Amino acid sequence: MATALDSAPTGTTSANDPTNIIVETRNLGKIYRDFWGRKKVHALKSLDLEVRRGEIFGLLGPNGSGKSTTIKLMLGLLFPTSGRVFVFGKDATDVSKNERIGYLPEESYLYKFLNADETLDFYGRLFDMSAEERRERTAKLIKMVKLEHARRRQLKEYSKGMTRRIGLAQALINEPEFLVLDEPTTGLDPLGTRDMKDLILRLRDEGKTILLCSHQLADVQDVCDRVAILHQGELKELGRVDSLLKMQDVTQIHASGLSDEAKGKIKKIIEESGGELQRMDNPTTTMEDLFLDIVKESEQRPGRRGGRGEN
Amino acid sequence: MRLTPEQFWTYSEWLFQHNGLRDGMILALALSILGFLVGYLVSVVNHGPVEGFLKVSQVIGQLFSVDLPKFSFRRAGAIAGLAFKESIRKKILVLIGIFIIAMMFAGWYLDQNADYPARLYISFVLTATNYLVIVLGFFVSCFSIPMDIKSRTIYTIVTKPVRPLELFLGRVLGFTAIGTLVLLLMGLLSYVFVVRGLSHTHEVDTIDASGRIGQTNIDNKHSHTFTLNDEGRGTTNEAKGHRHIVRKEGDKIVVGPPIDDLTARVPIYAKKLDFTGRDGVKNEGYNVGYMSEYQKYIEGDSLSMAVWEFDGVDANLFKDVISYDLTISAFRTYKGDIVTPVGGIIYFRSSDEKVETERESFKVKEFQVDRRSIRTKLKGFKDGQPADLDFFKDIAPDGKFQVVIRCQDRGQYLGMAAADLYLRPADLQFWWNFVKGYISIWLQMFIVICFGVMFSTFLSGPVAMIATVAAIVLGFFGFFVDQLQASTTKGGGPIESLIRVPSQLGSQIEMDLGSRTLEEAIRLMDTWILTGVSQLKSAVPNFDQLGTADFVAYGVNLFGGLLGRHLTIAFGYFILTSLVSYFFLKTREMAA
Repeated sequence: MATALDSAPTGTTSANDPTNIIVETRNLGKIYRDFWGRKKVHALKSLDLEVRRGEIFGLLGPNGSGKSTTIKLMLGLLFPTSGRVFVFGKDATDVSKNERIGYLPEESYLYKFLNADETLDFYGRLFDMSAEERRERTAKLIKMVKLEHARRRQLKEYSKGMTRRIGLAQALINEPEFLVLDEPTTGLDPLGTRDMKDLILRLRDEGKTILLCSHQLADVQDVCDRVAILHQGELKELGRVDSLLKMQDVTQIHASGLSDEAKGKIKKIIEESGGELQRMDNPTTTMEDLFLDIVKESEQRPGRRGGRGEN
Repeated sequence: MRLTPEQFWTYSEWLFQHNGLRDGMILALALSILGFLVGYLVSVVNHGPVEGFLKVSQVIGQLFSVDLPKFSFRRAGAIAGLAFKESIRKKILVLIGIFIIAMMFAGWYLDQNADYPARLYISFVLTATNYLVIVLGFFVSCFSIPMDIKSRTIYTIVTKPVRPLELFLGRVLGFTAIGTLVLLLMGLLSYVFVVRGLSHTHEVDTIDASGRIGQTNIDNKHSHTFTLNDEGRGTTNEAKGHRHIVRKEGDKIVVGPPIDDLTARVPIYAKKLDFTGRDGVKNEGYNVGYMSEYQKYIEGDSLSMAVWEFDGVDANLFKDVISYDLTISAFRTYKGDIVTPVGGIIYFRSSDEKVETERESFKVKEFQVDRRSIRTKLKGFKDGQPADLDFFKDIAPDGKFQVVIRCQDRGQYLGMAAADLYLRPADLQFWWNFVKGYISIWLQMFIVICFGVMFSTFLSGPVAMIATVAAIVLGFFGFFVDQLQASTTKGGGPIESLIRVPSQLGSQIEMDLGSRTLEEAIRLMDTWILTGVSQLKSAVPNFDQLGTADFVAYGVNLFGGLLGRHLTIAFGYFILTSLVSYFFLKTREMAA
């Protein structure tokens, strides 16, 4: 399983080169007001961040932390109360920037009365694509998101996972350089989640820049190169995932086939070296990996129950 | 139906001589300045005076520098297609079903005893279609963008390179397309309904000994008399606004289908109508009191006369006969012989008054069209001497001539207006006039859609609908505001009426609240309200004038000049609503 943690981001380039900065926010703030102009919520306070070309950038935070507001400001769906947002060096309200952007909103806000083919054709036309180009892209994307069997069904008949997948396809219709994914794995089953994450990584490897907004921490950890953590509208942390997660004063050793005697020796060495053994046991896998293994095994040997756990 | 001279201005006359272009420009300029000011004020609240000015200027600048040059018809077409599909899949065509049911009921209840059933049928289908399509227009247009914002599907649109004008035009075109489809189906159904509803024939009931004069049986609640010529051909008399061709086939007399009821007359109107008083001096015509504000009167058995002056009448439009229609009324100052209509004299003369036709007496046919004609070769007087005349050589060599009417009966009056006498060359096809009537309805629907989409760019669905309905109501009943302002309608303005209605104070009685100051204050407030409404009225289309159902129903050709004028007005409103929508779509936060 390829993750961002065990492979360096291939597309990440020099942060100092201004052409490599896809999104830049400067002192970005947003206050929501009511009809009479009275302040309701201070959703975002002085946000400064950059999204660099070729990286997967994660926006993390609990509900109401300002993630969605930041994305909407970047897309021009909201206007800043203070500060500026630049996307591809242009103001976020400049419509022409959208030619290079793909956006998957939180709930795949699509027209339910269209089918998959019509949906992709419609969004293709919004990019002024020729009929032939639209046909080609539609076929390719429908295959990519595995919706060939349901391409003629209206979206109102789609499951949440299928809606998410067609939503992603519409975000990719223009082969965007910069992809904004708002909670991309919401509503997906573990298999779908894994597919989505693999796809995100593949897109990054193809050179696309991805901004991912999620509160599924595992997703962010698995795919993001850098993250920004927001809380109550403020930036609390910003940096590379691997360095943020690294515990500098703790050493982790993975070994297999050790006897109890050998383990005793290791304990002794740690104590003699002045260290403190915090924990030594069999590691557990993640629930996601366990689930995926079970499904894979089940497909290979149908009808048999696995014997990993204890009753 | 009251035709007014301004309805017969040619397109260029309306545009240039009667200030159509000037008024349109003034309205556009006034609304642009108002729009800029409102936009600036809103921007000042958000950004302060200097930044606010820059923002508004930026929006205007971007319209010409980016958004217009980069406008894509493919994108607009995509949005139009989406709006069309949405309407179809949300079963908007149910409206057609409602229309069919309405027509089935109408078939039972339309009065066959009416004097002119064709008018009734045509008026009914055109009016029903008009209202239904306008309702359809504002329902589909007002809710679309607000629904997109509510369901957030707009996020996937405005994050694509879609420009505000494409969004507006796409919606307008999509809804117009669905409206056009509905209108086409309704039009087809209506045409069949009218033609089949009026179709009937008669059997010969009685015939005299000569075998030439007879009467038909009663069908559709009327019968006709007829006279056959030597060749065994003839027409019936006119009843219920139509006649039948009657012909002898062997021993049998066959009555054909109705004629003249579904027609499209092409009236040629006089350039002006002058009046002469009882003393032979020109005047404005006599006013006989509250009988008609539209017509003026001439006095009987005096020098008083009405003179229509025609100009530029093309001789090629007429062969041997010049047909003309007369719709004049009588005003009696004494009852006299009430059975005999008031008499008049009519004659044609050259514009220099040296050549004129023989004078012909006629009896006024009140409340109906008197279809008359003269031959192009006829007897008359040249320089006072009897002579054989050729109409277009001797009387109207350059298409210019006069028609004179006098009243014969002492003490009685004849009333007429410029449009009450017109020449009637060959009629045009009814179906084409019917189509033109539907084009008029289409234009009204288009304007309603433009307004609906415009309001929906900055108001929520229900509020946008109320605003659109207000614009439509103001458009239909704007004349009432004028009447209130001119105090020709009694009962005062809105506040005064609110006091009069519950206190059961008749409109003819002076309002008495016991305080003159209070009464004056109420009247002042009413004046302000009415002035405000009047200003608003001048910004919305006058639907009353855009309606042309009467032309079709009364069998008058809806001529190109009028249709062109309405087309221009619709286009003007399209531009106006586009600009307002552009401004709001450009400056509003879609995710707010």
